[in-house]
Amino acid sequence: MDVLSNLFNGFQTALTFQNIYLCFIGCLWGTVVGVLPGIGPLAGITLLIPATFGMDATGAIIMLAGIYYGAMYGGSTTSILMNIPGESASVVTCIDGYQMTRKGRGGAALFIAAWGSWIGGTLSIVGLMFLAPFLANFAVKFGPPEMFALLLIAFILLGSLGKGSFFKTVPMILLGLLIGTIGMDPLTGTMRFTHGIKDLYDGIGFIPVAMGAFGIGEILTSTEESLVRFVSKVKMRELLPNREELRASWGPIFRGTGLGFLIGLLPGSAHVLSSFVSYTLEKRLAKRPEEFGTGRVEGVAGPETANNAASESAMIPFLGLGIPTGPAPAVMMIALLIHGVRPGPLFISEQPQVFWGLIASMYIGNVILIILNLPLVGLFVNLLRVPFRILFPVILLICLVGTYSLNSSVVELVILLFSGVLGYIFRKLDFDIAPFILAMIIGPTLEMAFRQSLMRSAGSFSIFFKSPIACTLIVLSCLLFIWNIFRAVRPKKAWEKALEEGE
Amino acid sequence: MCKGIHMSKERGGSLIFLAAGIYGLIFSIQLPMGRWNQPGPAVFPLGLSVLLCIFGISWFIQGKGQGEKKETASLRGFIQKFTTPIKIVGLTAAFILTFELLGYLLASTMYLFVLFLWVSRYRLWTALVLAIAFGAGSWFFFEKLLATPLPKGFLSS
Repeated sequence: MDVLSNLFNGFQTALTFQNIYLCFIGCLWGTVVGVLPGIGPLAGITLLIPATFGMDATGAIIMLAGIYYGAMYGGSTTSILMNIPGESASVVTCIDGYQMTRKGRGGAALFIAAWGSWIGGTLSIVGLMFLAPFLANFAVKFGPPEMFALLLIAFILLGSLGKGSFFKTVPMILLGLLIGTIGMDPLTGTMRFTHGIKDLYDGIGFIPVAMGAFGIGEILTSTEESLVRFVSKVKMRELLPNREELRASWGPIFRGTGLGFLIGLLPGSAHVLSSFVSYTLEKRLAKRPEEFGTGRVEGVAGPETANNAASESAMIPFLGLGIPTGPAPAVMMIALLIHGVRPGPLFISEQPQVFWGLIASMYIGNVILIILNLPLVGLFVNLLRVPFRILFPVILLICLVGTYSLNSSVVELVILLFSGVLGYIFRKLDFDIAPFILAMIIGPTLEMAFRQSLMRSAGSFSIFFKSPIACTLIVLSCLLFIWNIFRAVRPKKAWEKALEEGE
Repeated sequence: MCKGIHMSKERGGSLIFLAAGIYGLIFSIQLPMGRWNQPGPAVFPLGLSVLLCIFGISWFIQGKGQGEKKETASLRGFIQKFTTPIKIVGLTAAFILTFELLGYLLASTMYLFVLFLWVSRYRLWTALVLAIAFGAGSWFFFEKLLATPLPKGFLSS
């Protein structure tokens, strides 16, 4: 009942005019970035971070979280109406969603996608509400050896579940960890890799790197492609699904919720993985699987529900343990740190108004999103008529100004551009940039935990095995590593090939 | 006469990892290693650099025999394929180098104008109108509404 009274207090925080307004702005902007191909939720969040400087921490996280889960709603619009995924998690929705549009059932597909997203998102928030405090209470007992072991398994999971093979993801993680060491060593004060540049004494800024790699990198990639767009029109009266479609969507929606919630807890591109796994599951359970790809409503309901549920449950390790499991939660963590709030085991107990205010705002945000994505879907579709050759210079300028506004540093603009080029190169070479960003952010914590553990044990590695939690996590890490070696050697299964191609 | 480039994607990535690993090795061995009971600032970056070099070398060797088609291209063909991104990077670099000197309003308008004209291929007057509209609009949004301190350049004197 503690949870319910805390939630009640959370609603008191969230239901102020300012926080409702910020939640609305976040959801609206999130839907816009989800609808527009070429700009994803990560770029959308980083672009608005400078706008949060004048806000309190609660308002800032409410708005930024709204962008994150709002983008999951918006991404399905272009997938269904144009066969172009607005966001990577909506790739699989193109398969059956666009076919439904060609059959004149585009409106019904949009409705089912929004409806499933709302149910998946809302139920996932219920899970978040109970699981995050439980995890936080458990993690308070963690010392440096346990934290090191937890982050080690998180990185190995990230390598296992990220795009591409494990042995392709690991060097990206190593590169991110190395970049994370730039700056002053917190334990000894020694400068590492700064070469006398004062702007690097505090390390490489995560926001210029994230904005560059994802924002500018995506633009550089998108400008190579032809941008001829045919936008299907949807009338309001065509939005409602028929009885058969509604009946067929219930099973996938509830299965997608459970699947998405569990996968969202794992590091990596959880929202992308969850949509693919849901689609595969629905196809396997269907009486006539050969009809998938021709406009089956299950092919829309399941994946869209799963990706929303995953985006909400990804907040659990981020808020409860202080471990962001994806690039978007990682950037939200940076935003919270800027406001002096540190997510982690003590976050919920020390900042309950921020945590419960966020939870309550997520319920409100999901309601706002279903209103935005159904009756107002025509407005967002019209955004797609704005030529990309007008949009991309404006987005570039916003990235530049946004970065400059952080510290008025030209060095950070150079880092932004360099990261953009690096992100573009890695995209062309089919290397996933998300693990690089995550490693950069979490790496310093991993190093600190490792060195502190050895300092406590007078240099003995047995400290990692004396703690049952640390020992279990390290053994699991080793087993997972061995499994990844086995997976790299054996032939790929059909669903693994499909997932790689989709990504 | 340009020679063909035999380069798989894995090899391309391996060169980046190898370069980062070598850079990390060179500069981290100059840092204090510390002792077992007090690991110094060199330990972590040194270990990472060694691993990056190992992965870089192994991907370079593996990249030779990958199943995908080897890309053979002349240098001219390579540049033509990436003309638009190269233009954007070049213009953005020029903007970064000049915007504190010229001031945000002037630099952003010029930057947008060249992008709209040269990259987006709009006509001269269309590019000019769009550049002024978005340049001034962004200045107003960031400087006035969000109170972001932006450089005024030589216009401040």
